[in-house]
Formats: sequence, C-alpha cells, structure tokens
Amino acid sequence: MIYLDYSATTPVSYEVFDTISKVTKEFVGNANSLHALGLKSNNLLESATKQIADIFNINTNEIVYTSGATEANNMALIGVAMAHHKKGKHIIVSKLEHPSIYAICDYLKGIGFEISYVNNDAEGLIDFDDLKKKIREDTILVSICAVNSEMGLRQPLKIIRQIIKKENVATIFHSDITQAVGKVPVNLHDVDLASMSAHKIFGPKGIGFLYKSSMVRITPIKYGSGKSNSLNPGTPPLPLIAALSKAIRISQTDLEKRERFVNLLNEKIVSALEKYPNIVINKTKYSIPQILNISIMDVMPEVMLHALDKYEVYLSTNTACASGEVSHSVMAIYNDLKRAKHTLRISLSYVTTTEEVNKFIKIFAEVYDSLKSKKEGI
Amino acid sequence: MKKTIIIKYGELSTKKDNINYFLKILKENIDSLLIWKHFINYDRGRMFVDVDDEYIDKTISVLKKTFGIHEIIVGFIDNEMDFDKICDNVLELIKEENFNTFKVICKRGNKKYPLNSMEISAKVGGYILKNRENIKVDVNNPEEKIYIEIRNDAVLYYLNGILGLGGYPVGTLGKGLLMLSGGIDSPVAGYLAIKRGVKISAIYFESPPHTSDFAKEKVKKLANVLASYSPNMNLYVINFTKIQEAILKNIPYEYLITIMRRMMYRISLKIANKGNFKILINGESIGQVASQTLTSMSVINKVVDIPVIRPVACFDKLEIIDIAKKIGTFDISTLPYEDCCTVFVPEHPVINPELEKCVLYEKLIPYEDLINEAIKNVNIIKIGKEEKYQDIL
Repeated sequence: MIYLDYSATTPVSYEVFDTISKVTKEFVGNANSLHALGLKSNNLLESATKQIADIFNINTNEIVYTSGATEANNMALIGVAMAHHKKGKHIIVSKLEHPSIYAICDYLKGIGFEISYVNNDAEGLIDFDDLKKKIREDTILVSICAVNSEMGLRQPLKIIRQIIKKENVATIFHSDITQAVGKVPVNLHDVDLASMSAHKIFGPKGIGFLYKSSMVRITPIKYGSGKSNSLNPGTPPLPLIAALSKAIRISQTDLEKRERFVNLLNEKIVSALEKYPNIVINKTKYSIPQILNISIMDVMPEVMLHALDKYEVYLSTNTACASGEVSHSVMAIYNDLKRAKHTLRISLSYVTTTEEVNKFIKIFAEVYDSLKSKKEGI
Repeated sequence: MKKTIIIKYGELSTKKDNINYFLKILKENIDSLLIWKHFINYDRGRMFVDVDDEYIDKTISVLKKTFGIHEIIVGFIDNEMDFDKICDNVLELIKEENFNTFKVICKRGNKKYPLNSMEISAKVGGYILKNRENIKVDVNNPEEKIYIEIRNDAVLYYLNGILGLGGYPVGTLGKGLLMLSGGIDSPVAGYLAIKRGVKISAIYFESPPHTSDFAKEKVKKLANVLASYSPNMNLYVINFTKIQEAILKNIPYEYLITIMRRMMYRISLKIANKGNFKILINGESIGQVASQTLTSMSVINKVVDIPVIRPVACFDKLEIIDIAKKIGTFDISTLPYEDCCTVFVPEHPVINPELEKCVLYEKLIPYEDLINEAIKNVNIIKIGKEEKYQDIL
C-alpha cells in the first residue's frame, strides 16, 4: 500500500494508540467527579492540557477541546457572530478556506450576516490591500486558514493580524490551523482563535481543540454541565484528549528537518510529473511541501483515483471534505475551470519513504499511460 | 560576535565581602531551573548564560522568575576588541531596530583600553550617523540606548533589557516553613519571603473527610507556583482530623479557632525544628479575621519560640490580590474547595482571647499525643517531582 493522502487523515501512531488504550483502561473516573477516581482523571486531564499549552505558549484556560476542526470552526465563527452581532454583522473570509468555513458562512448569511471574500494574489498570498479595504467598522471577524488544505498555501498570520488590528482593533482574527500543525511552525499569538484536529497528526479521529485567547469573548453554542470548560460542556473524553496531547508533542519534534525531507520527496514527484505535457503542477512559492496539487488535464481525476486504487495507491481529488467538486483553491489562483475540475492532491508526510515515492511515480506512469491510450483509442 | 544572555545583579551589588556566596547560589538556582543544555559564567559584575538559540525565549521566561536578578538582556559578546570591529558590531546590533534618536553609552571596565568611554561613545555615535540615514543623537531622551561594555577580554553589546524580579537569590538567607492554606494570602506571603532570599517549604493541614482531595490538589498547585520561584520545595501534609474533632468536641465554640491555630503553630514549630527551618511564615493580615486581631496573634504566637514572619500583615486585601494575580496564584486560590480553617467556623469567635483560658481549655484534650501522632504520619510531597504521566503523554 502506498498512502499519499496524509492531509485527509493520518493513521494513529503506535505511541498514541498506546496512550488511548492505557487511559481507557486505567483512568475510568469522570474528570468531573469529586472522588479519588475523578481526581486521578482530572489530574491527567490537567497535565495533558498543560502540555499542549506549554507547546503553544498559551494558557491552559485558552484551550477548548472539540470533536475536531469542524466543530472548532463552528464554535469560533458562530460564537463570535453571536457574541458581537451588536457591534456589526460583517465577516471576512479568504477564498482558500476549508469547505466547513464556507458552510458555516452560508448559515450565518441566512441569519443576516454579511460575508466578504478577500482576494489573493497569483501566488496564493492574501491580497493585503484588498484585506485593508474590506475591513470596516462593523467587521467583527476575519477567518483565514494558516495553510490551505488543497494546495498547501501558507499565509503569514502575523502580518495579516497586524493589518487587521491596524484597520479595526476590535476585529477578531480566527485561523484554521489544521493543515499547519505538525508541518510548519505555528505561533498562536498571531491569532485570537484557532482550530485544529488530531487526526492530521497521527492522533485519533474525533478530537481537536479550539484556541481561544483569553482576551476574546465568544458565546457558547453548546450548553450542559461539567466544570472542565464552559464552551464545550459534558464529560471530557480523556483517552482522546491524552492522545491529542501526545500527538501534538510528537508532531513538534524535528519540525524543520521533517519539512526539509518532505520537500525532497515533493521535488522528486514534481520533476517526474512535469514531463507530461498534459499535467500541470498547481504549486506556488507559498505551497508547503507536504501538499502537492496537480491537474491532469486529459483524464478525469476520479477515474485516475479509482485506477490507482487497484494498485493500493491512495490519494484524493481535492480534499476529502470536498470530493467531487471543483477545487476552490485552484480556481482562486488560476481562474481556470478545467484546471480546477481536474485536480489531484498528493499529500506527503515525514513517514513517507523515498521507496514509496519511487514506486508511486512508476505506478502513476503506468496507470496514466493506459488511461490516456484508452481515451485515444475511443 | 556571539549571542548571549547577560544578567545584571540588582541589590546584590551592595554586598561586599560575601557577594561571591550570593552569586554562587544564584548560579546554582539558575542551574537547577534550566533543564536544557546551558553554560553559565560569571564575575562580580555580570553573569552570562549561554543556551542554544531556540531556548533563548524559554530561558528568559525562567530568568524572569528568578530572584536576585535586576535585569536580563539578550546581547552579544565578542572577543575581538579592535575599535573598527566594535563599530561594525554595533551596526550589526542595530540592524533591525527602528528608531529616530539614539545615544551610545559606553562602560570601560578595562582601563588599559586606548580610548576612554567618552571617546568610544562619541566615535561610535559618529560612525552610526555616517552609516544610517534619518537618525539623530539625543543624549537626554533617546528612543534607543546602545550599550557597549569594554571588559578585560571581550566587548559586550546590547540594547535595553527586561527588568528582573530583584530581591535576593533564593536560599541565601536560609530556610523558612510556610503555613500554606488554599487561600489568597498565604501563597503571597510565601512569595514575598522567597523574594528576600528565603528558601521555603510549606506545611498544609488537611482534615479528611471534612476536606477533600481536591482541596489538597489545589494546595499542591499553589505550591507548584511557588516552587517555580523557590525550587526543590517540600509540602508537609498534616492530617489534622483527630485534633480538629477533639477541639470541636471539648472546647467552647468561641475559642475553637484560637485553639486550632495554636495547635497548628505547635505542629509547624516541630516540623520546622526537625527540618532546620529558622522561621515560620504565614499569610496573617492584621484585623482580617478574628484570629488575626493583635490580641489573637499574641495569644496564638505564645506557643512558638522562633520568629513568625507575616509578610502581608500590613497589606490591604486588594494589595494582596494584586500580587496574587501577578504571580499566578489568584485563579487557583479562588477555586471553591473547603480547607481546614473554613470547615468549622463558629458564628462568633472570640476577638480578644485570654491566654489563661486557652491554657485551661487545652488541658481538656490530650493534645501532645495527638500532635505527635499527626507528625509521625506526616506525608511529605516533593513539589514538582510528582507524576508527570511521562509514559502516557
């Protein structure tokens, strides 16, 4: 099997799996209970949270556990909208967001909020002048992802924050950092709110967190009991939280070395695929090496995907969450509908081996040639 | 030119003969707090801490919590002392700094250096003006102060630093035992004692099942915060249930708190004597509650013969809360768990207790035996050394 869809999800690492099973077996108490078993669980919960807080240099009370990035995005966007609608109903997002952001925006539009889309330049960088122009007195929120999920376009959060705060100091800045954590360095002090998910960094599915700066107020969208935190009440899923904490810790080691290694793999694939006249590489200088997007202009991407399936080679069309649609990001950068309809995303990880990449290149060539010749035969 | 963290000592420089002792302790304290690779070098004027670049921020956040430091500066050191090199290094130092006005301040410890400090300041200033546009010298109120220190074997370069906590290095003044409850005052009292160089451990009275394990956890957390200022701290946990129940059963209600405090003082004294603690420290503040009137304090204090330091005795509650917030204990202290002193509170405690009555009432309970038993069963927790769940996280 050659798995090249790490940006869709990752397998759970052995170390993390070990944590899940240990905590499930040994920490049976509800962290909200007052007895000794509850205390034991609560202590682990606090240590796990502290570890995450230390890694990101934030306070423990700024972490809200969620089921993943989509839930965190909901809490952030709807939470800000509900808390600040009296100040304004204007929200700005980029054209490079994860589909969940657009879905939430659609909902907010339906209840009277106004959504603006900030432009990006030809390289995928947010157009700073356009952002400046679009921020108004009644802009309550800007949401721009740290790394885009389809093309891996990375945004300079610090500069974006400076622009936002200069135009309107009350505007809150949210960033979906799911595709950035474990791939590139992230500084949470550049944003007010951030969403992430464990299953992109070899953690389990079903857990993630929302970073909420203590300076920012949002309205809860869920209600219940439990002292662990007021934004997401209920019994904290301790095995998943401990696993998240461990996955984050492991994801931060040798970040730069890993990035350099993946970059070599990326370049290897690019130089192999560049040779085909009908394949274009959707990559700019802001693309991170872990995500490689291409368009195969003469074969439908789904066909390619299914053909590769037979060889146990796995990748996605655009993102797993938007499968079958036009790639928003490729459209936003190249404004070429055909190119946007024909995208394939190859996503790499530091666990990908050179051997896997070599094999992939060989299999890809075989499959692509056979599909092309069939087409020509017709 | 090599990056280094420069430490300026504050009040320490007033110590003449025993400054070496203070500096040695300061170095040891920093050594035990930096758990990553580091190298410390010092003389009577400055201390230098070298760490890998990615650890500079972390090191600074540790140093910001270390007493005995006046100022922390990230600067550069260069062994080349040639004047042209100094000029180049200064330009390098200010490369990324934005300012309109500046001033060069030179200190020359090395009196053999061919130029004196005034000449160096003036010449370097001139060199900067020649090489940077749109800036002026302002000796009275400059936006940027550029420091050069000519030492015997090296030159230091730096801009403004971060103010440290001041005070004396922890441990230089001996050890004290802090009576730590879960409240707001006692952690602040501990912090203030640490600031004056007292190395502290803490004693906590629990009364299960009247007090919960969560209350004890809360005290451990408070101790953990204090341990970030005073490393290697012990928490002595005393089971106070039997004594408290005996008091409740036998002593008139209005004297409950007074006698309870006298028992706590007696136990603290014994632990202090055993552990070689020279003083007791607590968070009593004059007049705050019935046991903290001057008469109460005097009657309670009678059972011990070592100094009891009450750092917040003359502070208003709001002043104490300010410090608690600053050092990060306030949010923990306000967690809602009962402690020993709040479990059984009589409605009208005596404000002016009489010593004779106390002595008389105490005869009603076999307190010596109970105290010895409590001390025998003391649970000593090494703060900061508890389970960190390393295998799990």
